[in-house]
Amino acid sequence: MDEQHLIGLVRDGDESAFSEIVRLYKDRIVNYLCQLTGDYQRAAELAQETFLRVYFKAEKYRPIAPLSSWIYAIASNLAKTDLKRRRRAMFVSLDDLPPTVDVSTPSREASDSGLVANLRLALEGLSPRYRIPIVLKDIEGYSQEEIAAIIKRPVGTVKARISRGRNLLKKHLEKATGDGFAFAKQELYDGRY
Amino acid sequence: MEDTNLFPKWPRVAAPPDFEERVMTALARRRRELPQARRSRAFRLSLAGAAAALLASFIGLNVLTGPDGSPSGLARGDASGAPAPLAITEILDYGREARGVSSASRPVYLLEQVSFASNTLAKY
Repeated sequence: MDEQHLIGLVRDGDESAFSEIVRLYKDRIVNYLCQLTGDYQRAAELAQETFLRVYFKAEKYRPIAPLSSWIYAIASNLAKTDLKRRRRAMFVSLDDLPPTVDVSTPSREASDSGLVANLRLALEGLSPRYRIPIVLKDIEGYSQEEIAAIIKRPVGTVKARISRGRNLLKKHLEKATGDGFAFAKQELYDGRY
Repeated sequence: MEDTNLFPKWPRVAAPPDFEERVMTALARRRRELPQARRSRAFRLSLAGAAAALLASFIGLNVLTGPDGSPSGLARGDASGAPAPLAITEILDYGREARGVSSASRPVYLLEQVSFASNTLAKY
């Protein structure tokens, strides 16, 4: 069934059409949010909230962009808010932690090794400003125009952020391979490299 | 722009198996809670509106009423449509006036006969 028709039915309160949209997008949205947050459980919760917003805000959707762009925009905004909140909470709690405690994201999988582990850590250290366009482009496979529609920024800004984000990631990887795994997560986050 | 993908064959994750059921359960719960949330929001808004109206009326009464309860100049001016008369007050220093009288030198009166009739007996 056509996506525009589906969202039209959701607007009228059709739950089976909503269930169909959830079925179509659940894996993509959970994967996208997992790459952004680095936490699978948190990603599943945010994905659930994303779909609830799709249902309750369906009347606000305008068919000027694909439905997927609108759903990704909702998910991006939720992830951005969550990342900011968690970052603030991390700043508060770090003061109370002894310096030997590992404060990296606990969702890092044991199977991750080498380049993947380094990239995952570098991605988690990147500011949402760069992380969102990079994940959308390099992992989800969206074009720059589609990303511009999702994050509501000009295409030039998207290009610049992708380029800058990739440079930050490369610098981190060079640093990680050069002198072990010591890198300044805060500096990456602020884009000061 | 250099178009190099740093994430070739990046591992993907899938949604939990019961994800759809969880979403539909959360949807049903949210639909139940929504009217209550709306009522609560409406109650908070009406409470805030009542407080604002009370404050506005309090300020209005203070501006339009004088300290003795009578309508202030602003209120009288508004009622008649004409400008209120301007009161001019002149300060009088009665103390200074009294001091002036007490500290002034006393007048000396010279008693002189003003009769045209000559009186040789008069001596000064």
